[in-house]
Amino acid sequence: MSLGELWRKFRWGMRSLRNGELLLKVGADKFYMHIMYLFLLMWLSIMLSLKVDKALARVGDNKTAIEELRIYHSQKEAQLVRLHSASAAEKRLRELGSPVSIPKEPAVIIKKK
Amino acid sequence: MSQKQREIQETIENRDRIHVVMFFLSYAFLFLGIGILVCIVRIQTSYDVDNKVIGLFRPSSVLHVEHPVRGRILATDGRPLALSAPLYDIYMDCTVRKQYYKESGKDSLERDWRKKARELAGYLSNQFRDKSADQYANAILKGRDNNNRYLLIRRNVDLETLKLVKSFPLYKEGPYTGGIIVETHEERIYPYDSLARRTIGYVKDLSRKGLEDSFDSELHGHEGYEWRRVTDNNRWVRDLDSAVVAVQDGNDIRTTLNVDFQDIADRALRAQIKENPDVRAGICVIMETKTGAIRAMVNLSRGDTPQTVLWERENLVLTERGEQGSVMKTATLLSLVEDGYVKKLNQTLPTNNGWVPNWRRPGSASEYPHDDHISDYQRQTGRRDITVMHGFEISSNYVFAQLAETYYGKRPQELFDHLYSYRLGEAFDFDIEGLRAPSVTRPGTPAWSNSTLGTVAYGYGLSVTPLHVVTFYNGIANRGRMMKPYLVESVEKDGKVIKKFVPSALNESICSPATADTVTRALRAVVNTGTGTRLKGAKLPVAGKTGTARVVLPSGQYQDAYGRKKNQGTFVGFFPADKPKYTILVTVYSYLSGQSFYGGTMPALAVRDIVDQLYALDEEWRPVLHPTSSVPVMNSEK
Repeated sequence: MSLGELWRKFRWGMRSLRNGELLLKVGADKFYMHIMYLFLLMWLSIMLSLKVDKALARVGDNKTAIEELRIYHSQKEAQLVRLHSASAAEKRLRELGSPVSIPKEPAVIIKKK
Repeated sequence: MSQKQREIQETIENRDRIHVVMFFLSYAFLFLGIGILVCIVRIQTSYDVDNKVIGLFRPSSVLHVEHPVRGRILATDGRPLALSAPLYDIYMDCTVRKQYYKESGKDSLERDWRKKARELAGYLSNQFRDKSADQYANAILKGRDNNNRYLLIRRNVDLETLKLVKSFPLYKEGPYTGGIIVETHEERIYPYDSLARRTIGYVKDLSRKGLEDSFDSELHGHEGYEWRRVTDNNRWVRDLDSAVVAVQDGNDIRTTLNVDFQDIADRALRAQIKENPDVRAGICVIMETKTGAIRAMVNLSRGDTPQTVLWERENLVLTERGEQGSVMKTATLLSLVEDGYVKKLNQTLPTNNGWVPNWRRPGSASEYPHDDHISDYQRQTGRRDITVMHGFEISSNYVFAQLAETYYGKRPQELFDHLYSYRLGEAFDFDIEGLRAPSVTRPGTPAWSNSTLGTVAYGYGLSVTPLHVVTFYNGIANRGRMMKPYLVESVEKDGKVIKKFVPSALNESICSPATADTVTRALRAVVNTGTGTRLKGAKLPVAGKTGTARVVLPSGQYQDAYGRKKNQGTFVGFFPADKPKYTILVTVYSYLSGQSFYGGTMPALAVRDIVDQLYALDEEWRPVLHPTSSVPVMNSEK
């Protein structure tokens, strides 16, 4: 192909593009459905990708929330357990001026004969 | 020149041109190759690659390591003895927005920030109560003037407090305006503080002790790995295209320890020893007779100086190997009864004024020290013979040296075979590492002398740990079946048992049940009429033996130049004596002291206190009341 011929084709292409007739002139209208299908697939792919990212971000947030709850539960449990010993109870009762203390005798069981 | 010759000439010229081109091309490639090599060497050695270039080659995903949550250590009833949770350190970047306010030329913004900082200081002071509001304000404002980007506000804050602090003025505006910096660190929490602390152990960086160390492989769990990428919204999410290794949190271990028993034993022991500055340490072990499960293990010690507070510093139950003194007379008595040498406890032997006759060289001086107990006995009773039972009750060294010499003098190995069968000659497998092996002076070894047999018979020349002693007494309480002591009963995952440790025996039969009953009778007599009378009248009948031993000093002597001694007093026994449920040992160790410590005093009193409190606690001993009449039914309609 000579340079003159190449220049002619370039000018034809630019003119067709300006007139909005390029795709028709190259016969792309035959593949219109395929092109639309391709666009649909691309749109779907992007949408799904964004949805997945959003879901994963939510998973991360939930994990953080669960972890925070676990930490809160552990720390609260440790605080409660500290109070759950005979010594701690006795000390607290003494502080409150209560006459109640650790039992000296075991509790009596009442049973029917 | 003919046409053909011209063509040949042109061909030669063409070929020469090709040769020249090829020649230059080959050299060009050669120089290019050398250039590339130089570049490679330079890149590898000195070239500093631009970060933008590195960024282009770096994968968009980064590896994230997820650390497992360390498993819990639980008491037998499920109460946590150790658990993990993060704590937070709060710092402050005092320079936050300072430059921006300055450049914007709005002094009001800076004034507003400082006003909020003073307000924040008030809240911080009110929350932590460690500094005044002015002190906090001065620290923050001085930090702003001096461009301090890392001012410590408070260490080890829990999540609840952190959330509260984040809602304070200035801090609630976030890190880019408030300057709050939070650093997280995983902490191991021991809710009962010093209670059983040496048994539970600790974990700090790479250092571990106790159960935390022995069961680290179960408690630690496995790290998880996942690749993460940034989304278009600048959020880090998991990269689904890469492999994931899920994090596995550590398993929980359920111990045999009973928090109430531990608490009672700890308090009873403290009550006995805290006021006496000569006491270096005190230990207590409570073992379940039938299973060998350890329900309490107390290790209180003061450390090097008497001024320091009592704390669980070292596991003396496993490591304090020493001559146990008279508590080992029970092992001699058990052997004598089992071998049939002592058929009845009222069998008598001559008192010999408290001197063991030298049968190897008749007429020569005794190889044993004099026993003053026998002189007292002779003076009080006027008798020249003594029963085995009474010798045991008053803990006479003479009686046991004499019995050993009489019956095992010619075959000492026979007695030592018994001691080995009681596991008093070797270490055994235990849930915490560090159980010391006993030290035994055996017949035929260089350390063996003519008096070794008798001294071993009354508790010297044989060094064992307190765990060995309590395991042996538990064997008697269990009528000859010596159980292996254990501390961990199961490994659990989310409350489900995945590994169960069942009780096992160290020796199925150390003696016949009849022998065990006979020795139990002797042990009851010690409490009723012997050296352990401080336990007489305890709320549950106790059978046991006292032991008072002097500790060998580094000089090899039992006392220093000033006559001061290191003593250890022990009481070991079981209760209720007629149907044993628990075996208990309490030992008290002294510093170098002029004071004497006996097993029948502080240790026996501690045991009594423990027995009385356990009696009130255990359901098994609850009295049953049968109603004599029924309660009338109250019905308003009738």
